[in-house]
Amino acid sequence: MAQQTAPSAAEATTQSESSRLAGTLTWMSQNGIFIFTAILILFALIFVDGFGSLMNITDVFHRAAPIGIVAVGMTFVVISGNYLDLSVVAQVATAGVILIAVSNNYGIFPAILAALAAAMLFALVNGTAVGIFKANAVIVTLATTFIGLGLLRFFSGGSIFFGPPDGPIRTFGLGKIGPIPYSAIVLIIMTIVLGLLLNRTNFGFLVRSFGVNESATRLGGTNTALVIIGAFLVTAVAAMIAGFVLAAFSNTAVSNDGVGYEFRALAAIIVGGTSVFGGRGSVYRTFLGVIFVSVLTNILVLSGISFGYQQVALGVLIVLAVSLDALARKVAQR
Amino acid sequence: MTTTSSADIAIAATGISKRFGGALAVDDVSLRIAPGEIHSIVGENGAGKSTLMRVMAGIIESDSGSVEVFGTPVDPGTRAAIDAGIALVHQELSLVPEMTVAENILLGAFPTRFGFTRYKDLKEIAANALAEIGVSVDLDERVSRLSVALRQFVEIARAVARQPKVLILDEPTATLTPAETDYLLRMLSRLAEGGMAIAYISHRIPEVFEISSNVTILRDGRQVLTAPIADLTPQEVIDNMVGRELKEDLQTHRDATPGEVVLRATDIEAPRVNSVSLEVRAGEIVGLGGLVGAGRSELVRAIIGADNRTAGRVTLTRNGRSVTLSSYTSAVRNGVGYVPEERRTDGLALIMTVSDNIRLPNRQQLSRFGIKAPRKIAEFAQELADKVGLRPPEIEREAGQYSGGNQQKVVLAKWLGRRPDFMVLDEPTRGVDVGAKAEIHRLVKEMADNGTAVLVVSSDLPELLELSDVIHVMRDGRITGSLTREDATEQSVMTLAAGEAEAVA
Amino acid sequence: MSTTISLGADESTGTWGRIRRTASRRTEGRGIVLLTFIIIMVALLEPLALTAYDVTLGRIALIGIVALGLTAVILMGELDLSVASTLAVAGVIMASIPDLALGIVAALVAGLVVGVINAFFVAVIGINSFIATLGTLFALRGLAFVLSNEAPVSLENKDAGIAFGQPLIGPLTPRILIFILVFIAIQLFVSRVKTGREFFAVGGNRQAARDAGIPVNKRIFTGFMISGFVAALAGVINTLERTTADPTAGSTVLLASFAAAIIGGNYLKGGRGSIVGTLIGAASLGILQVALTISGVQVPIQQIYIGVILLLAVTTDPTSLRAVRGSLRTFRQSRMKTPDS
Repeated sequence: MAQQTAPSAAEATTQSESSRLAGTLTWMSQNGIFIFTAILILFALIFVDGFGSLMNITDVFHRAAPIGIVAVGMTFVVISGNYLDLSVVAQVATAGVILIAVSNNYGIFPAILAALAAAMLFALVNGTAVGIFKANAVIVTLATTFIGLGLLRFFSGGSIFFGPPDGPIRTFGLGKIGPIPYSAIVLIIMTIVLGLLLNRTNFGFLVRSFGVNESATRLGGTNTALVIIGAFLVTAVAAMIAGFVLAAFSNTAVSNDGVGYEFRALAAIIVGGTSVFGGRGSVYRTFLGVIFVSVLTNILVLSGISFGYQQVALGVLIVLAVSLDALARKVAQR
Repeated sequence: MTTTSSADIAIAATGISKRFGGALAVDDVSLRIAPGEIHSIVGENGAGKSTLMRVMAGIIESDSGSVEVFGTPVDPGTRAAIDAGIALVHQELSLVPEMTVAENILLGAFPTRFGFTRYKDLKEIAANALAEIGVSVDLDERVSRLSVALRQFVEIARAVARQPKVLILDEPTATLTPAETDYLLRMLSRLAEGGMAIAYISHRIPEVFEISSNVTILRDGRQVLTAPIADLTPQEVIDNMVGRELKEDLQTHRDATPGEVVLRATDIEAPRVNSVSLEVRAGEIVGLGGLVGAGRSELVRAIIGADNRTAGRVTLTRNGRSVTLSSYTSAVRNGVGYVPEERRTDGLALIMTVSDNIRLPNRQQLSRFGIKAPRKIAEFAQELADKVGLRPPEIEREAGQYSGGNQQKVVLAKWLGRRPDFMVLDEPTRGVDVGAKAEIHRLVKEMADNGTAVLVVSSDLPELLELSDVIHVMRDGRITGSLTREDATEQSVMTLAAGEAEAVA
Repeated sequence: MSTTISLGADESTGTWGRIRRTASRRTEGRGIVLLTFIIIMVALLEPLALTAYDVTLGRIALIGIVALGLTAVILMGELDLSVASTLAVAGVIMASIPDLALGIVAALVAGLVVGVINAFFVAVIGINSFIATLGTLFALRGLAFVLSNEAPVSLENKDAGIAFGQPLIGPLTPRILIFILVFIAIQLFVSRVKTGREFFAVGGNRQAARDAGIPVNKRIFTGFMISGFVAALAGVINTLERTTADPTAGSTVLLASFAAAIIGGNYLKGGRGSIVGTLIGAASLGILQVALTISGVQVPIQQIYIGVILLLAVTTDPTSLRAVRGSLRTFRQSRMKTPDS
């Protein structure tokens, strides 16, 4: 049976080795994004034709903006430990259609109010199911995606809505400052605002605290249901704004808008270093992740690589990034 | 050396020692159990019984010593232990709720033909196991629908089905009614008569005296006494469980002049709590003693609303104004603080900084319109960190990087910041080093001196005696007796907790 | 000398007592309630759905096949979100290979491979199955586009496809027959085969399963492989019947199959539920969908129905209800008048 052994030198080395490995893995999963983004941009500037052109950069911003806005908003749900909000797809499309359809008939302001109401409804249903009924967020948001899309397609009849050619929406969609379109500026503003919300307010603190340790947060005297509803509300408002921006881009809206947003946003969030297990991460990192994903997508497009490969790349990226995080945690626990 | 050769001894554990971190959980313990013998292992919470049992069952490996079954050494590991004929009866948590009784009894070892389960054989073996322990249960019933007692019996049937030579049971009667306990004890006696060697770990003295032939008493990991039960009286056993050389009176006398009643809990009922009432006054420290499973943690959680209670009322009184406490959030809002039993999962967010942890319940006063005031937070947290003696007092360090004692100080600090009127502490110094322990005791007494009503749950008898002005001892969800500071001794507490006597309150 | 300890429940051995006891054991209660409700509503409003049972059975089969495979994974306490894209990829692979038999085999093998990949990330790397299969869902969706050049792929052997859609035994088309076979196979596996039975242990009390010597990781691999295989099978069936493979196929199936499994009483946390329950859930949804289609309800509205049903199903299982009951009780208590002491 067991012999009496003092911790040998070999054991001591493996212990420090494994904690060093843990440290490296953790560092990489959290900070790798900075390096990778820099490398990627450098690579693109050198090797990819047309990347550095003004037109292309503007295009990248245009495409990055709506996805980025969704991503920075959804970061709240991810940090709270609830994986993600699949229904952003429906929310983006709904907001865009409401904006154009309602503003065509009633004006911009009522349109915004209507879209806001829709966003709050989404948030309420999602947040209640996950926060009070403690149901699984992935399944719940899967259901609300279909409910939302179904309602949208029914009411819109699947038709495409066009904004007036000289209306405020079009003006916004065309506007830019230098090479940076208004939409990207909205993204930057949202990043700053939401970043402040997450890092400097009690609400943001509670969202993060909930993601780190639900039990301790509850025992600290918090109404956790409200925190969860709040996280979904932030996502919903962000998705709404993203829907506006998307609609403004083409001055049209249709119920099919926003396809693929859920996983692109998640990819950006995860790649940026926010842990899908909750607690760790930040809005600023998501912003960086958005840049990375957008540049990557742009490189693929410029290289003529089809949409399918892009999806594969993003899916693989998500799985790898999460694996890194999971392995880092596993090793750290040993 | 004894005259019986080792080959006749069903299980012999020799020189078992096990160290966890810095502390010695088991220190050179040896015991031997012969076939047909029921050998009880007793000791208070933390004496090392569980660790010893887990070593014997192969779940953990000891640092030194060996385990032999009929003279053959047993390799470490559960597989080896099972193969050697050692069967451990877990608490009922080891069953699969939605599988049938028969399937649970033979979990992992179904008889099969070409991969298909031979249900007839399965049920036969299961039925035999049940018959051997004298219990009749519908083999097709799902375990989740059985009563707690029956689940415990199914657990035993599973152990017995493997035809073991040695049966180890850890506190099997913790969740049973007296009638069910009685049944279990008779069952065990029958099994022993049939030649099984039984190790019975418990701190319920009456049961120990009813069925054992021999008893081993552990205290602080050391083997205090091993003797035939016939040679001892219950009081002697209890005394040996707790008998420390009574040093000079540790109790630094507190001149406690308790004020008005702050907390009044009436007829509290909850799972494991049977209609308990108690009061705590301002400036008073009330201790809750008892053994594992007595319902102490459940009681305090039911009082503050951390768990739902099925009946009872709780009122908090300050400055003449009374409030009924209904939910945990309202309790905290009204000046209740709670240091939970599980520091790592409930008390702290380990990957967050000390500062953030302290901020959590204090966030409203440390912010303006919901926006955090970083300087206020830093000042506040630093002040509290210094006050509790956090070493080193770096509030920006992750809580998880501190030692257990320091972590507990952080938990205390965050509540101190709220100046609670009523403070609950559940096992405040578990896993805490000696130095930090003394500091925490000082802080608790200081809180009381400042007028807080304090309720402490502790399995650490000296701690309970040192802190409490009044001790209520619980057993089976009820308060069996109350002791004032003058009457309280380790023996008197343990007698109320484990023995038959119900002292006059 | 054996005495009996009373169960606390009634011990009547009469047939009525036995029926009552069996009924209370089962988890399919909610599913049966929903199914009954739907059958009654449909019988009143659109009885054609019930009489045109070849169409209805076909619909049930479509939803049910994937749901059955999914149930195997859910029983273990895991999720497989990738079934939708596994279906699509399998279909595309099959259509892209000129030789029909080879194509079918390749598609099914692909399903198994997906299962292995998913299980690897869940069991070996230790990622939560929600995220792992979400990642594979995305990646495979992309793969389907890549392999099909973003356009539906026509089946070479169209005659086989058309023949596949013809009833084979009575009114039962091959799709329905395969569904019945899959149901029987998985039901047997989970109730009578040792490894399948142990899925309940892996989901119900994973630590106890490990302690009892059950190779949990192996079981996880088996479960995901079943789910992947069955999803691929559904893709094959789909492609044969339509004679083309659509790389975007599967999203409604994802929704409906989860709904079917959860309605049928399968707990997402694992360890509780049944294959029969999934069948009942699939039946409810299938009948509902056919009835809605016949009455001219558009597809978007149908999706709303299914979405609402899924939402209700996932928020009304006992764990959720217990959570709500707790919150309600504290809410009510805080509203009570407080008599002054």
